Amino acid sequence: MFKYIFLFELKYRIKRPATYIYFAIMLLLGWGLGSLMAGGIDIATANGLTGGGKNFANSPFNLHQYLISFGQLFGTFVVAAFMGVPVYRDFQYDAHPLFFTKPITKLDYLGGRYLGSMVFAIAAMFMMGIGFYVSTLMPYVEPSKIGPFRFMSYFNPYLMSIIPYTLFSGTIFFGSVALTRNQLLIYLNAVIILVLFSFASNLANELDNDLLASIIDPSTGVAFLKETEYWTVAEKNTLVLPLSAKTGLNLLLWMSITAALAVITYIRFPFTQAFDTGKKKATTPSALPPMVSEPEIIESMQAIELPPVSQEFALNRYLAQLWMLIKREFKGILTSPIFIAIASIGVLMMITSAAFSGTISGQLFGTATLPVTYQILNLLNSNFHLFMVAIIIFYSGELIWKEREVSINELYDALPVPNWLSFASKLLSLLGIVALLLGVIMVSGIIIQAVQQYFRFEIGLYLKTLFGYRFIDYVYIAVLAFFIQTLVNNKYAGFFVVVLVYMFNSLGLGLLNVEHNMLQMYSDPGLQYSDMNGYGHFTWPYFAFKLYWGGFFIVLGLLTNLLWQRGTESNGKARIHLLRQNFTGGSWAVLIGGLVLFIGMGSYIFYNTNVLNEFTNSEQQEEESADFEKKYKKYDGIPQPKITSVKLNVDIFPKKRAFSASGTYLLINKSQVAIDSVHLNIDNNQEFSKLEFSRASEAVMIDEDFGYRIYKLSQPLMPGDSIRLNFEQKYETRGFYNSGSNTSFVYNGTFFNHGYFPSIGYDRNFELNDKEIREKHGLAERARFPSIDDTVAQKFTLISHDADWIDFEATVSTEPDQIAIVPGYLQKEWEENGRRYFHYKMDSKMVKFYSIVSARYEVKRDVWQAPDGREINLEIYYHKPHDYNLDRMMVGMKKSLEYYTQNFGPYQHRQVRILEFPRYAGFAQSFANTIPYSEAVGFIADVDEEDVDYPYYITAHELGHQWWAHQVIGGAVQGFQFLSETMSQYSALMVMEKEFGPENIQKYLKYEMDTYLRQRTAERVEELPALLSENQLYIHYNKGSVIMYALKDYIGEDSLNAAMKRYVAAVKFQEPPYTTTRDWKRYVEAVTPDSMKYVLTDMFETITLFDNQVKDASYTEENGRFKVSIAIEAKKIRDNGKGDETEIALNDYIDVAVFAREKVEGDWKDKTLYFEKQKISRSVDTLTVWVDEKPTKVGFDPYNKLIDRKPDDNTRRITVKKDN
Amino acid sequence: MQLTINGLSKTYPNGTQALKGVSLEISTGMFGLLGPNGAGKSTLMRTLATLQEADSGTAFLDGLDLLKDKKEVRKILGYLPQSFGVYPRVSAEEMLDHFATLKGIHNSRERKAIVEALLHQTNLYNDRKKMLGKFSGGMKQRFGIAQALLGNPKLIIVDEPTAGLDPAERHRFHNLLSEIGENIIVILSTHIVEDVSDLCRNMAIIHKGDVVLSGVPSDLIAQVNGKVWQTVIEPETLETLSSQVKVISTRHAAGKLRVRVFSESNPGQGFESVSPDLEDVYFLHIKTGETQPNLIAG
Repeated sequence: MFKYIFLFELKYRIKRPATYIYFAIMLLLGWGLGSLMAGGIDIATANGLTGGGKNFANSPFNLHQYLISFGQLFGTFVVAAFMGVPVYRDFQYDAHPLFFTKPITKLDYLGGRYLGSMVFAIAAMFMMGIGFYVSTLMPYVEPSKIGPFRFMSYFNPYLMSIIPYTLFSGTIFFGSVALTRNQLLIYLNAVIILVLFSFASNLANELDNDLLASIIDPSTGVAFLKETEYWTVAEKNTLVLPLSAKTGLNLLLWMSITAALAVITYIRFPFTQAFDTGKKKATTPSALPPMVSEPEIIESMQAIELPPVSQEFALNRYLAQLWMLIKREFKGILTSPIFIAIASIGVLMMITSAAFSGTISGQLFGTATLPVTYQILNLLNSNFHLFMVAIIIFYSGELIWKEREVSINELYDALPVPNWLSFASKLLSLLGIVALLLGVIMVSGIIIQAVQQYFRFEIGLYLKTLFGYRFIDYVYIAVLAFFIQTLVNNKYAGFFVVVLVYMFNSLGLGLLNVEHNMLQMYSDPGLQYSDMNGYGHFTWPYFAFKLYWGGFFIVLGLLTNLLWQRGTESNGKARIHLLRQNFTGGSWAVLIGGLVLFIGMGSYIFYNTNVLNEFTNSEQQEEESADFEKKYKKYDGIPQPKITSVKLNVDIFPKKRAFSASGTYLLINKSQVAIDSVHLNIDNNQEFSKLEFSRASEAVMIDEDFGYRIYKLSQPLMPGDSIRLNFEQKYETRGFYNSGSNTSFVYNGTFFNHGYFPSIGYDRNFELNDKEIREKHGLAERARFPSIDDTVAQKFTLISHDADWIDFEATVSTEPDQIAIVPGYLQKEWEENGRRYFHYKMDSKMVKFYSIVSARYEVKRDVWQAPDGREINLEIYYHKPHDYNLDRMMVGMKKSLEYYTQNFGPYQHRQVRILEFPRYAGFAQSFANTIPYSEAVGFIADVDEEDVDYPYYITAHELGHQWWAHQVIGGAVQGFQFLSETMSQYSALMVMEKEFGPENIQKYLKYEMDTYLRQRTAERVEELPALLSENQLYIHYNKGSVIMYALKDYIGEDSLNAAMKRYVAAVKFQEPPYTTTRDWKRYVEAVTPDSMKYVLTDMFETITLFDNQVKDASYTEENGRFKVSIAIEAKKIRDNGKGDETEIALNDYIDVAVFAREKVEGDWKDKTLYFEKQKISRSVDTLTVWVDEKPTKVGFDPYNKLIDRKPDDNTRRITVKKDN
Repeated sequence: MQLTINGLSKTYPNGTQALKGVSLEISTGMFGLLGPNGAGKSTLMRTLATLQEADSGTAFLDGLDLLKDKKEVRKILGYLPQSFGVYPRVSAEEMLDHFATLKGIHNSRERKAIVEALLHQTNLYNDRKKMLGKFSGGMKQRFGIAQALLGNPKLIIVDEPTAGLDPAERHRFHNLLSEIGENIIVILSTHIVEDVSDLCRNMAIIHKGDVVLSGVPSDLIAQVNGKVWQTVIEPETLETLSSQVKVISTRHAAGKLRVRVFSESNPGQGFESVSPDLEDVYFLHIKTGETQPNLIAG
């Protein structure tokens, strides 16, 4: 009988058109995905999805990653449809008694149904892979994105993840519907599963234990990521996910759970005929038992006399009815078990994820930030958003179908109430639920803050954000859902269409490069809260867009109301007829009102985004850059004078988000030839009312589009000769953009820089870089960075191509309650005409790199005394409530000045100032004696004793730049950032180590190593050795930290610093050509013993990786001493920069260590018994070490000083004592 | 008060022609609409109750256009659909109060009085706190009637209200309806002949979308007086018989078949004259042109 049921299910499925629709959907999804990834739309999209460079669209890695995420995102619904329906179907059509009375067992019945459906669910999933494969054969794909076809690339993801996932989720769907017979669960389950999965993945990502994290994530996504995180491009293109401990145990766990669920379903399933269908159907009278007759009652019937009533039909009465209906519907949702279930899961997840992440986004190096209100709101909103959308989608359907599902609709439809009453009551009650949940978010947020001992509750911000900003979107989504449900007029198809439209609107448009927010429903230019600036200038554009969409949704709401199902007509023609009939004068008013709002605001927005400002999508921006290069590349490198002095008068108008300025440059011809014309680059968005040389000149070329101008001087500028350029300019904020805004100019926290002022000559830094994008625009391939040997490029720095060292002076004015700051020392401060003026002057040479900042500040001051007796003023300009970490920064500044002065040479200024700026950017940046510092990266850090103190670290890093970039600056060639960033990283590391000890540094370096290993895999051109890095962040920051710390360990801090000090002294403030990493290396090499020279080669001149591990460890006790045997495996690998690796011979000094455990102040800590560098020349070896105490742990490069592809297996506990 | 239906037609998208130019004149009192399942009764009822659109034709209640001026129609309408459900977890009293509010009865004292009165009239008063989900079929039908009587309906449309009820329940129904049907129009659709003969002042027979007969029940019966004949035959001779005479109905009785036929004169063959009833009229009209003789009422 099992076979019969099984075959019955198969045959049934084969006959159903739905089967083919689902197959087609999955096929199309796979095909669409493959087309996007293989460059079907454009190469940028393809690169974005595949990781770019040599990553193939059909590499095993990409296939695995995308087939699984698409399979889960979309396939889940298909699996739900296949697996949820089979048993339900029998109940729905009351066919179950027919089955249950047949001579079949429960196992036959359930098993047959289950397996029969599962075959199709899995087959549907395979359609996706087939679709993907087909797409790779299409003529429109980019051949370079397609690797060779390999069966296992496709099949392995199914084997390892998709089939297990389908079994797992399918079993849940099958079981839950079989046991409850609630069809809503079929779809609801799918959503809940997806949300729970993403929750599990997030949770898993928070865990430190990789193995555990990999196992507990049912989506296998974490296992996949952990297993492949350090894979190079070459590996991604060839290796399939192996069956390892991580993946294997994951499969074991979840397949066991699947089996358990199947067994539970089997046991709990009631296999009897007398079985309540669970669903309350409209009971027709014929189905009920006959009534007992009640003749005596019949006799007593009287003539009917009903009390008189008056009926009133007026608007206020309708409103009273509306209120009654809203209350009913609201209560109905609130008390329904499904709502309670979704809402409580949502709240639970929202709170636990907040609790688990310690806090909040913006975590750096594992150190959390304080739970400030906007962070909590961001976190809770993003966690709860999908729940909210799911609730809206489900309840819009539920509410619309509520009457029809119990067949009470005809009673309601014949009542003397207006059409809108029903729609309005349902919509408003759902919005009431949304508001209630927003309130729950607020309360949860406050509780989370209180639990974390943070009591600055900003109730106003909660209310404004949730009910002022967030609520609008939910209103629109609700109207959209009601409209679609009404239009489709079939509940489950309605759900599907709503989800499809929602996904297309939020994801699909982006993939199709539709970027204008006027085309994406209910979208806006973005909203970013900053403690300093509030919602600031984001507010109006946000609401302008919302009003525009408001007009749209008013029309949609009107259509919903006109199409609202009343009566029993359901075919299109009749409904259109009814629509016309319902279209009364009031409808006209609403329609016109909505359209006026939509078109009016639309025109207003278009005027702002496309007329006042230029709307360029990313494609057009590329084209502009390409055109600029094509037009002016010919001027690259022609002799031009250099700026040697900058004098500015800047008036900042924060409220208007504008400034006006006048200034003078002193230009000197430092070249060997006469210069007859000067090329100026100006910001074409600004108005330049004056551009005048101190010598007669004529504008021979003015290009308004690109802001490029050529002035011919009446007399050529002779070598060594100088000339002044006087200019006046005005920057105004005009209207708003389609997306984002210029956050340099805000109400509180203006921060802009030298880039807004004229520059001299063609700047090649603005050229497009990406090979494919250049090709698309007809540009030849370009080296990402000038070679280290490029002697022309060596004559410029990256910071400014038109200046070496300058004198700087500026007068800045701003609103009276703000302080304006530029590099230099304050000479004078005064008020005039209701504005506040500051005059600053720098007394030493500096690079042409200056910031202009204005905000309402509190100031904290301190002084540091240099060894030579000089006093350095320390100042922190901060936003009032952000005083949490000022002491850390202050100490950081002092310790940094102390270490750097002692080890690298004197500080060139008399002052250091830290200036807080809004979190629109998340960095700190060093200008001469001035460090703008984002409110997001330290001011609200919540540093515990064990944490990496990153306010301190960032302060030290930026202080480091006062030496590295502001004294020593390299030529604009390979390795430029090594000399600025890597050196600053090293400087900061040393200061941190002095303050917090080596253990804390190890914690920090673990992040650096991990980031390096992960990000190198995303390299799209070529990974370069550290000394040749080409603005590759993962090299000059992350690898830089690791290798500099190791180098210090190998050759000693003192000799390394001595070399650095000599180097600084030799090259600081030098005129071009500028220094390169070659010079640096020479100085360091001089202090490196011959036996260690290989370290320089490995770490700085090549890409060298290790794979070191302890295989086994044991000890024996002999005469009170302990002989420890450590079986090690060592592997040294050279990478050619493209991910091709070769193993090379070992002859290296590597740390060998033995530890014991001891209790220090109540905590168990490692106690070092033995720690030596041993020379390792065999890749498999057993080392012997004698120690005096009982060992508990051994290590082979335990602190990961070497770059190790598997950093976790370098230590091992000794648990076994050998008996010999 | 006069309800005038003129040339009402309706064809469903699947091609079913539910109404083919139905014209009727209905005045106050009970009006019975008799017809087999699928005759178009419910379509007609729903159209009059503003729930469905007609393709063509008109319906006026005095000056009120039933097809266009739905808003006004609903103010004077009481409607009980053929089958309806209820919210299982709401009490009868609460639900009636809810409907009363939606019928525009805003004065809470009046509303309370009418709800109470209707609960008494439909004999649901003792069960007024009971959840509707626990109601029996008869109780639910009575609840349906109660809600249809809320307000001051001038036009009451009840669609197959007695289907599936036991005789006592049906009896109660008839009483209730005939009492209220004095001064207003009550249209009752049914496929049970007795409902009409017991209750209705006027009636129409509708079949396959056509009105095949209308008038006062006693007049219609009188028209066939002396033309209905009955005999008992062996079942296997029915075929032969029906080729010779017009069979109205057959009924099994103790292994034999009792046959009633229509004939202007005595058909002989053992037939004897019987006094006709409404059922004879009904079957005679709906069977015209049909070959299957086995239509049995009930």
